[in-house]
Amino acid sequence: MHIEKLILQQFRNYKNQLLTLHPHLNVLTGDNAQGKTNVLEAVYYLAVGKSHRTNHDMDLIQQGQTMAQLQVVISREEREQELVLQLRGHTKTARINGIVQSKMTDFIGRLQVVLFAPEDLSLVKGGPSVRRRFIDIELGQSQPAYLYHLGQYARTLQQRNALLKQFAHGTRDEEYLSVFDQPLAEHGAQVWLRRSRFLLRMSELVQHTYATLSSSREHLTLDYDCSLPGVDLLHNSTSVTALSEAFQNALRQKHELDCRQGHTSLGPHRDDLLFFLDGQNVQSYASQGQQRTIVLALRLAEIDLLREEAGEYPVLLLDDVLSELDNQRQQNLVLAMSEKVQIILTTANFIQLPKTMTQQARLFQVCSGIISGEG
Amino acid sequence: MTMWGYPEPVTHLIEQFMKLPGVGPKTAQRLVFHVLTMPSQDVTEFSRALLDARDKLRECSVCCNITDIDPCSICRDTSRDVQTLCIVQDAKDVAAMERTHEYHGKYHVLHGAISPMEGIGPQDIRIRELLHRLGNEEIQELILATNPTVEGEATAMYIARLVKPFSVQVTRIAHGLPVGGDLEYADEVTLAKAMEGRRPLL
Ligand SMILES: Nc1ncnc2c1ncn2[C@@H]1O[C@H](COP(=O)(O)OP(=O)(O)OP(=O)(O)O)[C@@H](O)[C@H]1O
Ligand SMILES: [Mg+2]
Ligand SMILES: [Zn+2]
Repeated sequence: MHIEKLILQQFRNYKNQLLTLHPHLNVLTGDNAQGKTNVLEAVYYLAVGKSHRTNHDMDLIQQGQTMAQLQVVISREEREQELVLQLRGHTKTARINGIVQSKMTDFIGRLQVVLFAPEDLSLVKGGPSVRRRFIDIELGQSQPAYLYHLGQYARTLQQRNALLKQFAHGTRDEEYLSVFDQPLAEHGAQVWLRRSRFLLRMSELVQHTYATLSSSREHLTLDYDCSLPGVDLLHNSTSVTALSEAFQNALRQKHELDCRQGHTSLGPHRDDLLFFLDGQNVQSYASQGQQRTIVLALRLAEIDLLREEAGEYPVLLLDDVLSELDNQRQQNLVLAMSEKVQIILTTANFIQLPKTMTQQARLFQVCSGIISGEG
Repeated sequence: MTMWGYPEPVTHLIEQFMKLPGVGPKTAQRLVFHVLTMPSQDVTEFSRALLDARDKLRECSVCCNITDIDPCSICRDTSRDVQTLCIVQDAKDVAAMERTHEYHGKYHVLHGAISPMEGIGPQDIRIRELLHRLGNEEIQELILATNPTVEGEATAMYIARLVKPFSVQVTRIAHGLPVGGDLEYADEVTLAKAMEGRRPLL
């Protein structure tokens, strides 16, 4: 799918802006704080129903105004659709082709996007919880059953931890603890199995996209660091029952330790996703540009996953992704992606487009809430 | 004039209504002004009903259900199957089960579920009373009908493990597809659960 035009009204620093987009590559250039990210935020908001930068919709309305409106015309499966979102105070009104939608859930997902934002670098630089959240969000979007098991797991974990804290001060009741071990193991095994299936597919795609971006100069592999000893989810296949039993046994062996520490020392909530470049762990080894390329490869893999599920490519939003990439990687990215997906890209610097691309792209200048350029 | 801008008795009544679950200031005010229009006789009856409920209702000494006579009418009913015991979390669940007219055994009401987070352990719900019954009555089957929540499941599991020494069959009610609903409209989680609970047809 692609966006044909976008209209921002009283949104952030835009008073009233029309943007006619190219079906392939769109480049927004401009100095800092001119409104480049604001455009991507608007598109993201139309797709997901919330901002990637703030939880307060009020921030989005232009200062001194009481309402904002976002409007987009998309072309999906050769058909045009008009999506409109109106923000007024704390209420938002969504329209599809002029018809008011009573549920936001009917609106969300009409426009599909994948966003790369500078904050995404925490996927490599941050702690394990950032990477677990990435997996949970990606999987949860396509599998409600995953969210169910994850939710039950989290609740059982809270109950078990509360019990461990009680036992830390008194005598331990093994039978009572086991009452929470079993469901924890059952839901945990479901979470693991679904993560492993997802990561196997993801790993294939990521390897491929990383190779494209780096001109096959480096080889990226993923691994899942499972806190259950002896389990390698990505290389050995197991069943839910086998996993669940192994987990339950391990939990039982840890009763004493867990009681002393007052929390559960193993399970999907303690795992990590690891990245290796030519066999080296990236957190301690990779350069800035390599880290950025890894995150980019993850987001690009997401595009292919979405396409497998929805049958169509989403729109790719790239915020300030080029700054740490060398010329070759910039070109690889643009060439590889703009053929199949529509890209909206922001950059504070001048960008050198491949010669073959100039017909396939549209350049815009962003200056204090006013966008000029072709189209 | 008081905090609400009403005479003292009105404010007092508003505050009393707000002690009920789900009643906020707005609803409370609406209820109070309705009460003020009610005939004096109705108000008397209303307040007596409140007191009666508090004074005359207690837990059945056998099944722990809420009752005005002890033992309760279900425990007294000699036509019921004394070998089957359905274990539920709340008195409301007994009423729901009774409305089906399908179950003819007896009940045991736990008054809650195990939840360490909220400080509710096995000794805080009526499990001791249940064990007492297992020792004294001729119970053959326990049907665990606690809620399909983490806490309800844990409670069911706790009881199942606890009663192992007694030669009693323990079953768990199934959770799955609503009857009369089309498969295509069931949410994925319900469907997944129904798949897990599948059974051989022949
Ligand atoms: N509600 C609002 N009303 C008016 N202006 C706003 C509002 N919210 C943000 N702005 C302005 O928008 C500008 C920031 O825009 P944006 O984040 O898109 O910058 P950018 O072009 O992406 O810059 P950079 O290159 O530094 O990332 C700031 O100048 C800010 O004052
Ligand atoms: Mg920016
Ligand atoms: Zn009774």
